[in-house]
Amino acid sequence: MGAIIVLLALVETVNAVVAPLRAPSDKDWAAAATLVRAEFKPGDLIVAAPAWADPVMRQKLGDLVPLPVAGRMDAARYGRIWEISQRGARATDTTGATVVATTQAGALAVRRWEKPAATVTFDFLAQWRQASMSVVNADGTEVPCAMGPDRLQCVRGASLGPELIEVDTTLRNGLAVDPVEGATLAIEFPAVPLGRELMVASGLHNVWLRKAGDGKVRMRVLADGRELGTALATSQSGWAGKGFDTSALAGRAAKVRFEITVDKALARHFGFAAEARNP
Amino acid sequence: MSGDGLPAVSRSRWRREWLLPLVLAVATSSWMLAVEGRQGIGRDESQYFRAGERYWGWFESVWTNLRQGHPARAFTRSAVDATWEDNHEHPPLMKILFGVSWRLFHTCDCTGAKRALHPIPITGRHLTLPLFKRESSAFRFPAILLAGLGAALAYWLARRMLRPTPAAVAAVLSVAQPHYFFHAQISCFDAPITVMAALVALSYWKSLRSPRWGVLCGVFWGLALATKHNAWLFPVFLLAHYLWMRRGDVRRLRLPRVPLAFVSMATLGPLVLFILWPWLWHAPVRRTQAWVQRHTQHEHYNFEYLGRNWNLPPTDTSRKLLRVTFPFVSTLFTLPVTTMVLAAVGTAVFLRRRRGGGEVSSVLLDEQPAALRPSWLRPGADVDRSPGVFLAIHIAGPIALVALPSTPIFGGVKHFLPAMPFLCVLAGAGAAWLIDLACKLVTARRLRRALPLALAGLLCAPAVAETQRSHPDGLGHYNLLAGGFAGGASLGMNRQFWGYSALPMLPWMLARRPPSNRIYWHDVLHDALIMYSRDGRLPLGIGDVGVGEQVVAQSDLGIVILEKHFTVYEGLAWQAYGTTQPSSVYTHEGVPFVVGYERRKAQPEAIAP
Repeated sequence: MGAIIVLLALVETVNAVVAPLRAPSDKDWAAAATLVRAEFKPGDLIVAAPAWADPVMRQKLGDLVPLPVAGRMDAARYGRIWEISQRGARATDTTGATVVATTQAGALAVRRWEKPAATVTFDFLAQWRQASMSVVNADGTEVPCAMGPDRLQCVRGASLGPELIEVDTTLRNGLAVDPVEGATLAIEFPAVPLGRELMVASGLHNVWLRKAGDGKVRMRVLADGRELGTALATSQSGWAGKGFDTSALAGRAAKVRFEITVDKALARHFGFAAEARNP
Repeated sequence: MSGDGLPAVSRSRWRREWLLPLVLAVATSSWMLAVEGRQGIGRDESQYFRAGERYWGWFESVWTNLRQGHPARAFTRSAVDATWEDNHEHPPLMKILFGVSWRLFHTCDCTGAKRALHPIPITGRHLTLPLFKRESSAFRFPAILLAGLGAALAYWLARRMLRPTPAAVAAVLSVAQPHYFFHAQISCFDAPITVMAALVALSYWKSLRSPRWGVLCGVFWGLALATKHNAWLFPVFLLAHYLWMRRGDVRRLRLPRVPLAFVSMATLGPLVLFILWPWLWHAPVRRTQAWVQRHTQHEHYNFEYLGRNWNLPPTDTSRKLLRVTFPFVSTLFTLPVTTMVLAAVGTAVFLRRRRGGGEVSSVLLDEQPAALRPSWLRPGADVDRSPGVFLAIHIAGPIALVALPSTPIFGGVKHFLPAMPFLCVLAGAGAAWLIDLACKLVTARRLRRALPLALAGLLCAPAVAETQRSHPDGLGHYNLLAGGFAGGASLGMNRQFWGYSALPMLPWMLARRPPSNRIYWHDVLHDALIMYSRDGRLPLGIGDVGVGEQVVAQSDLGIVILEKHFTVYEGLAWQAYGTTQPSSVYTHEGVPFVVGYERRKAQPEAIAP
């Protein structure tokens, strides 16, 4: 036991001195950035692993990670992913992909992952201006919303527009809406070219509002009047993605409707992103 | 010989009991003074600077009014409240000391352009002993001195049970903890209350066989109360120990005598607090209630633990269980591993002592009863004082409180730092066991004489090296088990709070200062910016667009402190500056702490400590 403690003290001391020297240096990051830039193609995704290194990665390569990419719903549409990794970490965005190239840049490993990219047939966020929206009151009366310069504006303070939202302390691009108690917010896209899957991710923005409120936001998803499923957002649910099977409607244009309700509207700012796609 | 025995005063005893702790204290304070300049100014600290200076201003007004023949004027309710309302959620002792130290030791250029940056009227150049170039250092000096005293106290506490060399190991380990070290060099209360915990516990321990320490115990507890509200719990820990120590009385259904220490604490403690805290003078009951309510009903701040942002008490069972693990996992990942292993060995030593294992007599000092009959003046004279239980209660108490799911975890490790001196005494016992074992194995006489010191140095080395490595970002440091800074970040452990980490960004921000002077400082309080200016680290008139989400867009240069719940502010910066690319990132061992954005982005720069 005594010898083990002495050995531990030696190891811990040496580690305290040596470990800082093994951390990726600015030079390592610059070398990794050069490697990525040399082979980067439009449509590629660049990620850091572990995720906490993301700001350092963006400092070197942020011009290749514009806001739409940084706040992505998920990585399904990216066939090539550049991962700058340290300490053997792997980014969750590379799930299902295969490494095709690895190069070491000092303490960093630059890996190129490849996988079949999902074909997005319709991006609801990008095409949000095609949407119509109405407030459906409890008695069934429906009040349509008006398209403003940057949002759909409705009665009872409801509105819908694209925003950069923070869900579960991660930034996401999404369509954001303040749900209304005692009414349903109905958002309709009239002709959506569907693929085999309708992917919807949703959550509640932001950390202070999630703390202040405890209401549950429900979203019902329908295609041509048929319910595909529901999603539930709470203060703890995070950015939850759900893939609905639309194989039966694939290749057709369908009316997609999102119905949003809330039990307690206090401090609920709901955001969602959706893609019709062929995985 | 009893730990409290009084053999003839000799040179070696003087060395053991006074010179060695003095050396430990001086070394501790010197270490902190040498490095505190790299430590940025946190939110709370900046408010304590302000309050400390204002409190000093009140003492000045007492003197001024006295000279003008109106001695009572400074003591009216309005005059008292005008000063002491500031930061009244925390008691005043340390802030008074910060203010006095500033007044005595700063290098005064107060009458120049910086005059307006002071929270009190500057009527003329201050005559001072200018020990410190930076005013913030002068404010921090009392906390640093107290940390030195803390090292000595840890030694003296350990000496009740251990020989000098392992006691010195305990003292060094009590300082060489990255998180404690972070808190010990700044003008805050978390390290001071840790020192007070050791002071009160030591005086109580000695009071069990010495009445003068019983009186002192009450005074010290009053000082602890005037330091931070953690002191409320100290009597609970002492009572638990006392009842255990006198369990023989309880078994015989005889009420144990009320010891002098408790009488003193009940009377002198509140009195000392009242005397030291003018805010209480005009409404003692109501304001004491307000002080208690403030901390018993404290809001839940945001805090990252195991990848989650916690800001409310957990509601479901699994999260409650996860929440309960917080202080244990945090301790496991923040204390130097060797220190923990030594503490585990020390625990075994004390357990063996309890079971009557004779072999520990060469490791622990004897703790024989000093008298046959107890008295209320010496209530521990006739019994074994149960040192192991004494340590266990002081370690488990603060940690258990923080483990409650309903307890806010906004401050992390700092809220159970008062357990650490006691844990390090355990580690000292572990070191004593190891030294004893090694000495038994070695037969060469010269080697045997050198062995204790060599081993002591070796056992302290990892803690000292880890602490030095962690500076100035001790809050983000995690140990060998966790994998250091990067390992802690990967585990989703809290990296920082208070916005102290802006300091390394200041040169970059000055170089990039926009012509508009519209700068967003995020979590860096205006009080901190003022102190950076007073310290000469920022120019007078440096821009500050203020706080809140809406002001980010009004700035042309800004920083975001990287805490999990601050992600929303980085998003605001992306939108305001039209880029996701920070121009500057401050990292420690590759782990980012602060990002800087600017509207007209230049070539990105990296900043490392």
